Amino acid sequence: MATVFGTIAVLALAVAGFFVPAAFGGGGAVYSACVLIAIFAVMAYGLDLIVSDLGEVSLGHPVFFASGAYATALLSTEAGLSPVLTFVASLAVAMALALLVGFITLRLREFVFSLVTYAVTVVALTLAENWSALGGSDGIAGIPLFTVDAGIASFRAVTDRDLWPVAYGLLLATLWLVSAFRRSRLGNAALKVHLNPRLATMSGIDPQKTRLMVFLVSAPMTAAAGWLYAYQRAYISADLLSPYFLILMLTAVVIIGRRLLLAPLMGVALILVQEKFFSFGGDVDRIILGCALIVSLAFLPGGIAGTARALAARIRRSDDPARTNAKNEGAT
Amino acid sequence: MSALLEVRDLKVRYGGNLALSVGALSLGHGEIIGVVGGNGAGKSTLVNAVAGWSRGAPRVEGSVQLGGRDISALPTHRRVREGLLLVPEGKLIFGTMTVEENLAEGIDDPGEGRKPYSVEEIYALFPRLAERRGHLGSQLSGGERQMLGIGRALRLAPRALLLDEPSIGLAPKLVRTVLQSVSDLRAHGLSVLLVEQNVKAAIEVVDRVLLLERGQVVLEGTAAEMRNNPRIAEAYLGAQRA
Amino acid sequence: MNLGQQILNGLVLGHSYALIAIGWTVLLGVARLVNFAHGQMYMMGAFVAWMVMAKVGLPYPLALVTSVLAGVLIGFVMQEVMLGLTLRQDLVSIMIVTLGFGYVLHGVAAIAFGSTGQILDTPFSTINVYWNDIWFTGQDLFIIAVTVAFFIALQLVLAKSRLGRLARMVAEDPKLAILAGVDVRRVYFGVFAFQGAAVALAGAIVGPRTPILTSMGFEEVIITFFVVVLGGIGSVLGSYLAGLSLGLFTAFFGALVSPAYTTPAAFLVLIAVLVLRPGGLAAKPGGA
Ligand SMILES: Nc1ncnc2c1ncn2[C@@H]1O[C@H](COP(=O)(O)OP(=O)(O)OP(=O)(O)O)[C@@H](O)[C@H]1O
Ligand SMILES: [Mg+2]
Repeated sequence: MATVFGTIAVLALAVAGFFVPAAFGGGGAVYSACVLIAIFAVMAYGLDLIVSDLGEVSLGHPVFFASGAYATALLSTEAGLSPVLTFVASLAVAMALALLVGFITLRLREFVFSLVTYAVTVVALTLAENWSALGGSDGIAGIPLFTVDAGIASFRAVTDRDLWPVAYGLLLATLWLVSAFRRSRLGNAALKVHLNPRLATMSGIDPQKTRLMVFLVSAPMTAAAGWLYAYQRAYISADLLSPYFLILMLTAVVIIGRRLLLAPLMGVALILVQEKFFSFGGDVDRIILGCALIVSLAFLPGGIAGTARALAARIRRSDDPARTNAKNEGAT
Repeated sequence: MSALLEVRDLKVRYGGNLALSVGALSLGHGEIIGVVGGNGAGKSTLVNAVAGWSRGAPRVEGSVQLGGRDISALPTHRRVREGLLLVPEGKLIFGTMTVEENLAEGIDDPGEGRKPYSVEEIYALFPRLAERRGHLGSQLSGGERQMLGIGRALRLAPRALLLDEPSIGLAPKLVRTVLQSVSDLRAHGLSVLLVEQNVKAAIEVVDRVLLLERGQVVLEGTAAEMRNNPRIAEAYLGAQRA
Repeated sequence: MNLGQQILNGLVLGHSYALIAIGWTVLLGVARLVNFAHGQMYMMGAFVAWMVMAKVGLPYPLALVTSVLAGVLIGFVMQEVMLGLTLRQDLVSIMIVTLGFGYVLHGVAAIAFGSTGQILDTPFSTINVYWNDIWFTGQDLFIIAVTVAFFIALQLVLAKSRLGRLARMVAEDPKLAILAGVDVRRVYFGVFAFQGAAVALAGAIVGPRTPILTSMGFEEVIITFFVVVLGGIGSVLGSYLAGLSLGLFTAFFGALVSPAYTTPAAFLVLIAVLVLRPGGLAAKPGGA
């Protein structure tokens, strides 16, 4: 019974989510913000799997994001491919890159892993800026509208309001995938490798293979966000590899808390609402975002959710000191 | 005359588990107290907590006084500067530095009649170290490491020395050498809290013995009283079997 | 190709790289910390020097001093914020926090100095020397002289002085260093201040070679990373040699292949080293 109610609640929530932009007045700016929140959340979920489940910090995820966007931009402008085909191509390119990066970093851990993935991003940035096949420093303009023709019916997204169903659908699919991953054997193995590598090996898990597999799940997610972002912006450039996207996804992943399904979405929403509706100009926004990242790691180790929980626990404890004391003594 | 080191109501927890609970412990001037007990009895936990040090993250409550002054609130390196020196269990010297460099860090002006050992005095106490002064710490044998660890502590003009199993892994002859040098230190007015599993050897040099079991002091007495105590014999045999 | 010119370019570049990286070498060797804000601190050093000279009108030596002080200040603030993480040796969080700091510094610099490029002119950079078919500036010589002096001094301090010994103790085993009466927090603060000072100095000395931009930190740190890893993490002499090799490589790759792709090419070299010698990444403590 409980699971039936649970399913109904989740479905209701999913349906309700679709009407969030409408509930906030349904203006053009609201739809734009919501589409971007959905896209960047999908981007951040890719990183979330690496950070929260695998326990490593990848600084190379902007490359997967950019690879989706670049594949889409090139194939739609040069070859005239439809969104369905560019979607498939984005995922394929990202998985190929993930294999490459995964192999390079297979045996690297902790900060060396992060350093090398960071280097991957910077190298990709210099390549994208200089390589004329990728548009060089001008980027790629003139990405066509998101149009799907299916014989009788056709779908064409002119504004962000039109694009919202696609963005929301992508977000829901990603959420489903993340929660399915966490329930899967791979997700379990990843967590074991993260928390106790030696024990994981003893229980027959191959840590290197697990890492590679998680990479192969994570990279296409982030690339799918790049895919939609290319259509949404109609123009892309090497800016996709600039620190902004890296800091944005990192902050979104850590600010609310780890291994909470909705945390990255809430993190992205928090950041974008500030930038879109309470902005103080690009440079001050930059300072705010950087400080949010610093504060969540240096002072709120469990993120906002963890801090709230700790506070609640402390309040409960101070209500009833005798009971906690008794419990401590009993533990010995 | 009041004791040099006074410990009261010391409680140490790892996570939620109470690993040590000692009501009172006092170490007199020039006294050597032996702390004995089986594996996991809480011996290391005791000396570490007195020094305010640990490789883990224990929660420590209680008060520690050194020479009548409460040092419970002092950070560990300040306690060291006050003359409370711990020679820990396990890794106790710097492996990437030579013997000489390990001994280089001294204290210039300890005050209150404390006198740091000079490097030469330490070489006189442990001639082995003099022979190996140019070797890296990581190249030393277990016994040489213990000597170097103690030597390093003496350079900082200790008033109280906390030694955690200085004889561990040593040949019987070396055990006697190390414990003999501990005993010689008393002649210099030093007080020592000596953790030992080698009860038989330790009891020859200590004034008093504390027996710890599951984090509690279960027996306490002079060395003479304890020598024939069946529970000490049992602890000793237990240690032998372990 | 003018061989002599490329060798000279490589040497100047190499000394620049080594000077930029030296703070990181010590930071990693002693405190086992990494600082992704390093590039932005370099940028800050260059811009503070520019501001002191171009806007305030003070001479270059005072600009150098001001840059160094700014670097120390930034290092102190960062370490103050991260002290808890440092004492817990939570490297990954520290790394991300420093990434955040770099981002904040970029924002602050854009507000303070504007986002247009600037030229940092010094009394040395306007001296041109022609010798046969080789050309260099006074600033180039200044870079080499400062770098060599800096490395010798550092090597001496780390190997011979009490300060170096304390640093090496903390690098090997911070907990044991506490038992030797060392105030480990102060050592960490000192190392961070040193790193800030060294990289800000590098900004004020190397910065004049190219136009300076407030956005240049993101990529700048990667050169440092290459130098430190290739040099064997934490080794002072190693990072000097690595800086030099990387400088020569960059000069020749730029002349023979393409200047735009030197970073990717250097990265390939780095990957080769990482794959061939994964154990070489274990830091030798103490930076000596
Ligand atoms: N870092 C730590 N984290 C959690 N528990 C610990 C830690 N250190 C010690 N303990 C626990 O505290 C208790 C006392 O350990 P302690 O090291 O003090 O024993 P000991 O008497 O020194 O034993 P040994 O003779 O083996 O050295 C043990 O039950 C041990 O499991
Ligand atoms: Mg012990």
